[in-house]
Amino acid sequence: MNDIANPLRQGLQGDRTGDACAVVIFGASGDLTRRKLMPALYNLSVSRVLPGSFAVVGVARRKKEDAAFAAEMKEGVAKHSRRKVDPALWDDFERSISYVCGDFNVQKTYDDLRAHLQKLDGERGTRENRLFYLAVPPSEFGPILQGLREAKLVSGASQPWTRVVIEKPFGHDLASAQALNDTVAAVFRESQVFRIDHYLGKETVQNLLVFRFANSMFEPLWSREHVDHVQITVAEEIGVEGRGKFYEQTGVTKDIVENHLMQLLCLTAMEPPISLSADAVRDEKVKVLRSLRQMERRVVGECVVRGQYGRGFVRADEVPGYREEPDVAKDSTVETYVALKVNVDNWRWGGVPFYVRAGKRMARRVTEIAVQFKSVPHPLFQSPDGGITPNVLALRIQPDEGIAVRFTSKEPGQHTILRDVAMDFRYGAAFGSNTPEAYERLLLDAMRGEATLFTRRDEVEEQWAFMDHVFDAWRAAGNVPPPTYSAGSWGPDAADDLLARDGRRWRKP
Amino acid sequence: MTEEASPPSVSHAPMSSVIARLERELRDLWKVEPGEPTRSRACTMNLVVVTTSPAITEHYLPIVDEVTQSIPSRAIVVTMTPNDPESSLDGEAQAICGVDNLTCSERVTLRARGAACARVESAVESLMVPELGTTLVWLGRIHVDDPVFRELAEYAQRVILDTEYTSLTSLLLLSRWARDRRSKIGIADLAWTRIAVWQEMCARFFDDPQMTPLAQKVEVLRIVQMSDPGAKLGAEGGLLLGWLATRLGWRIEALGGEIRFRRGDGKAVKVELASVKRPPSVAPLALASVTLRASDGALTATGTVTRDFDGDVADVLRYRLDVNLPASGEQTVRLGANKGARVLERTLHRPAHDEALAEAVAFADKLDDDGAVVT
Repeated sequence: MNDIANPLRQGLQGDRTGDACAVVIFGASGDLTRRKLMPALYNLSVSRVLPGSFAVVGVARRKKEDAAFAAEMKEGVAKHSRRKVDPALWDDFERSISYVCGDFNVQKTYDDLRAHLQKLDGERGTRENRLFYLAVPPSEFGPILQGLREAKLVSGASQPWTRVVIEKPFGHDLASAQALNDTVAAVFRESQVFRIDHYLGKETVQNLLVFRFANSMFEPLWSREHVDHVQITVAEEIGVEGRGKFYEQTGVTKDIVENHLMQLLCLTAMEPPISLSADAVRDEKVKVLRSLRQMERRVVGECVVRGQYGRGFVRADEVPGYREEPDVAKDSTVETYVALKVNVDNWRWGGVPFYVRAGKRMARRVTEIAVQFKSVPHPLFQSPDGGITPNVLALRIQPDEGIAVRFTSKEPGQHTILRDVAMDFRYGAAFGSNTPEAYERLLLDAMRGEATLFTRRDEVEEQWAFMDHVFDAWRAAGNVPPPTYSAGSWGPDAADDLLARDGRRWRKP
Repeated sequence: MTEEASPPSVSHAPMSSVIARLERELRDLWKVEPGEPTRSRACTMNLVVVTTSPAITEHYLPIVDEVTQSIPSRAIVVTMTPNDPESSLDGEAQAICGVDNLTCSERVTLRARGAACARVESAVESLMVPELGTTLVWLGRIHVDDPVFRELAEYAQRVILDTEYTSLTSLLLLSRWARDRRSKIGIADLAWTRIAVWQEMCARFFDDPQMTPLAQKVEVLRIVQMSDPGAKLGAEGGLLLGWLATRLGWRIEALGGEIRFRRGDGKAVKVELASVKRPPSVAPLALASVTLRASDGALTATGTVTRDFDGDVADVLRYRLDVNLPASGEQTVRLGANKGARVLERTLHRPAHDEALAEAVAFADKLDDDGAVVT
């Protein structure tokens, strides 16, 4: 950056705008571009945080003119943006949109792109800064990165800069993740790589750091001294929604647990970072991942439960079982539910199990982190339900983002009757519901070069290293079909047994 | 030490009855009749807004309502007219709800007339939500020895004023007063936030590495404001001039009754202050354009930012840089609707202490003493 040299930039408290740049989206015809990326860029434009010198270039195979591409994007924004399209503001934004048609496997595509970007540098002042967004399957990463390098479209990490944003999945096991990272590293330095886990862009996930490290009353309780166990739940009501082919290759463990759920676990368990710089935060997350007790094959059977949804009722509608979904094998062994007991072997969390679960076609859509505190050491009071229930602090990620504390209170009256009450803070109630989408924050951060909310190479590889033991054990057991659970339930009975063995039970959030 | 004046006597009914009624109204806002949807009260701060004219209050109420949708607050909007012969205090409480009508802030409007103005602090104090931070927005002339201001400021973590309604000198005095207090108060100026977009665009002139050295070679600065010729340089123009001069290391000197500006290398900077006719919809003394011309002999650049008009409403800034480099170009920034709310919201989001503002004000104050006028 040249900010230090420019005296007018010193101490300037401008808006949080990105650097002048061109955002180049590979896979511009895809769903992600229309549903998430363009609405996010449009909202950044409306919030006036896009840089003044800005351009967005779609790259895809289909032949079309700039105007046709812009019209498609407008339609997508109208449908998916959190704000209505303002015609005057859209006109301004539309001037920044253009399109380059080409096959990702043909070098001419990249030569055309370079000529186009050079033209934009002159016309829109994008100053040779490029943010390449790979909204494509990982199999396309190699040809695209190679094409960019051959076309000399890759510069350094500082002015003019080039950055690349990649979407999950970052591999399907440790070896493939390492191979993918090597492919990226052959072209870009790690500081230029922004791996998106959109969960990290969610306001409530960011608030987890604020909650833990800006409120002195909670942190002293945040350890084995006071915490009995932690439950992390990512439950969805929906099934595979036409993505049977994709799901057959992934399953819920690779789709949700290996990335989103592990990130939530890291943010819950990590030590306070020395600062909020990208590496300080990510160093602490990596330490958590390295503290996870690796699961031997024999342990996987005791600590991991799989499940696959059968027919059932969700919100009173009858829904088909997983094997009845389109593009799903009739004898599929893919799991749509998984629950794990994870041990974090470090000073803070020794002996405190983290129970994590993720599933499709569950009773309710909810993502939450619930910290259950230890029971009082000596029960003075009798509750009508037989004993005092332990305090729970629940951090709800979605829906109804917020924080709830469950504690025990006396029911008014002549007798000492105890009742559980919840102290409930809801984001929507406190701050209204028009919060930015995760992709807005993440795209802006990428344009600013702030990598705190992106996943670093070693994080990805540590996540896979931990999960690979589970996959290995499943393979060794011959990929037996997982037990079925009824759609609309909270998972298979074996998941309840996992906690019951420890004298605990799952929350029904 | 300034002696606190004892409050003037108020002859009619106790004002506590007004406060009691307002407290009742605030409670009643959240009563839910059977069959009615529940509305949630949201509150993260007390936002106390004081104006000295009903007209400013009328202009500012929609701004407050919009801001409290994104920063849920109990807003207490006070109109003080101390010269009114009648002494009275009245007001009402309302819920201000978002589009979903489920999440609401509270707004109390108070009108204090005549001698009752001395009771404003007491009234506001009893209506504030305890335990939450307080911001005082003072829209009018400000005197740091005004007991109402001082007492209200005691509760605040931040005082926001608008030099459009007062003067840069009073901002300077206020900053000094705040600095000398034991518990720190942040001082902010809405005019300073309004010129942020101008600052950003002026900074952009020198962002290109080839342009950066020219920041030390400015020869001409021209600031045009929307006013009649002969008018005093307004707060926005004064702050922008102060900011540019302090950032670029200029010094000011007087010689033979004339003000001169000199760069760090001793060369003179020609500063032109001019005016254009003000459209009726635009605030008096608002900025109309700024031009910087710089040359190092080999390279000459002229950067201009102009506030342009869309119909009757000035809401577009045009940036233009003329230089024989790729950095040359033109851009447009639309300021958007309800700029007042956006400015207040951004001011509330900014850090409480801003050294650049303090320096710019101190510099501009020297001009203010001299009474800089536009041609």
